[in-house]
Amino acid sequence: MSRIVVRDVDAGYGAVRVLHGVSIEIRQGETVALLGTNGNGKSTLIKCIMGIVRPAAGEIFLDSDGTRIDLTTKSTEEIVGLGIALVPEGRRLFPKLTVEENLLLGAYRTAARGDIERNLAFGFEAFPVLRERRRQLAGNMSGGEQQMLAVARALMSSPRILLVDEPSVGLAPILVSRVIAKIKELKDRHDLTVLMAEQNFNQATKIADRGYIIVHGRIEFEGQSTQQLRDHELVKKYYLGV
Amino acid sequence: MVAGLLLGGFYAAVSLGVSLIFGLLDIANIAQPAFVILGSYAAYVMNSSFGLDPILTGLLFTPVFYFLGAVVYRLYYGSFERRGDESLRGLVFFFGVLFIIEVSLSLKYGVDYRLVDAAYIGKSIDLGGVGIAFRLLVPCLVGLAMTLALHLFLSRTFYGRAVMAVSQDRLALRLMGADPVQIKTIAFGVGIAAASLAGALLITIAPVVPSTDRDYIGRMFAITVLGGMGSVAGTLVAAVILGVAESLMATFFGPSWSLAVSFGILLVVLAVRPAGLFGR
Ligand SMILES: Nc1ncnc2c1ncn2[C@@H]1O[C@H](COP(=O)(O)OP(=O)(O)OP(=O)(O)O)[C@@H](O)[C@H]1O
Ligand SMILES: [Mg+2]
Repeated sequence: MSRIVVRDVDAGYGAVRVLHGVSIEIRQGETVALLGTNGNGKSTLIKCIMGIVRPAAGEIFLDSDGTRIDLTTKSTEEIVGLGIALVPEGRRLFPKLTVEENLLLGAYRTAARGDIERNLAFGFEAFPVLRERRRQLAGNMSGGEQQMLAVARALMSSPRILLVDEPSVGLAPILVSRVIAKIKELKDRHDLTVLMAEQNFNQATKIADRGYIIVHGRIEFEGQSTQQLRDHELVKKYYLGV
Repeated sequence: MVAGLLLGGFYAAVSLGVSLIFGLLDIANIAQPAFVILGSYAAYVMNSSFGLDPILTGLLFTPVFYFLGAVVYRLYYGSFERRGDESLRGLVFFFGVLFIIEVSLSLKYGVDYRLVDAAYIGKSIDLGGVGIAFRLLVPCLVGLAMTLALHLFLSRTFYGRAVMAVSQDRLALRLMGADPVQIKTIAFGVGIAAASLAGALLITIAPVVPSTDRDYIGRMFAITVLGGMGSVAGTLVAAVILGVAESLMATFFGPSWSLAVSFGILLVVLAVRPAGLFGR
């Protein structure tokens, strides 16, 4: 059993406070949606979990079979080593490396090196264009292809927990569905736990078990099911145009 | 012509470290040629005191120079890179390192030419009428082996791929689970170790004085830029081109012109194809 717990976290950049007392929990096997429109703090919260932004207050820990691992004192690479992978905002591929080299770098963490064949096969099966283009430089791929590569690269690390920051950005709706379906497939096959930050409510709720709505750096609502989310007035107001 | 080709293999050895450190890590290490000369003197000392083969010495000393390189990078990282003011001050730092190495060698060994002795130096084989000196052939072969080894390191190992990625996006590399500082330390160590081995090759080919490094700085950067920053295959091709061009120049116009070749090539490449032959 493993879960990530974020409790009463305040965080920001310099003097600017972005998150105010944020608490969320992602339990094993769940897919949790983090919903919020532009600038509400989704990426900041994800960066806190990955050790990229350090919280000013509060706690973030990984509870792994009852052992509590404090993530706020771990470096990003150590957090990745624990089996937590991120598909970052803006993709952050290595533009001057080939598709294949990008994917192999995804398997850098020691625990993933034995699974390279299997993970590569899964990535190529999920996104055949990556196989066709595997010798092409990542920087020369289209935006959508790059997003697929970013997802496939994160999966190369055999993560137990996958954080995805807005997979739908820059992708055609059909590809968004494809990416999301593949994440779901992976989750079912390998007991993956997923936290997905999204603005696209309809896409996110396709695979989410439950979710949080973040507004101005505060968790305004915690929905125990997608139906509860759909019924909430904030969602109606911001996403469904009611 | 043949001499030029053989020289090319050796030039590749000299330039691999620059290709790695300047081309892939984006670190303006202008002290690189000084580490080459330091490698030459290590070979000289072991050869004159213990009669050890210079190239064997070069190989034996690679771990020492790897460690030295790692220490130099950590110093540079701690004093400049971490604070983000690396470009200009970093250049001053490496100029300082260059100066210290050169002056220390001059103080200890003077400015006389130093050379090494080995069984094969002075011998040659006859290949279809062309006499090939072992003095040139052995360094060329070692240079080719070094090129292959570096190529395999970069393309086949996890550390190597991380080295290729580290200057493109540090945060992304951390998200792969790699520590960029550790990766750069390893790469810098490998680059300095390569320089020291190249130094052992250099003193096998010709006698060396502490200021010999100045003859090489132009060549090293010309080869790295012509080959395409950070491309190992490009470094080899460019090194051979430079070796041949220099020997032709020396044959037709006299040896004093050969140094001008580097700068000619550097200017032309920067004007016509700044990415170099194999630049990505
Ligand atoms: N590096 C930074 N320095 C200063 N302020 C920042 C930085 N990154 C984000 N912010 C600010 O923090 C706030 C929250 O940003 P964040 O990126 O977390 O939002 P988001 O919910 O991910 O938005 P989006 O959907 O547009 O990606 C914004 O007001 C933003 O301007
Ligand atoms: Mg964001």
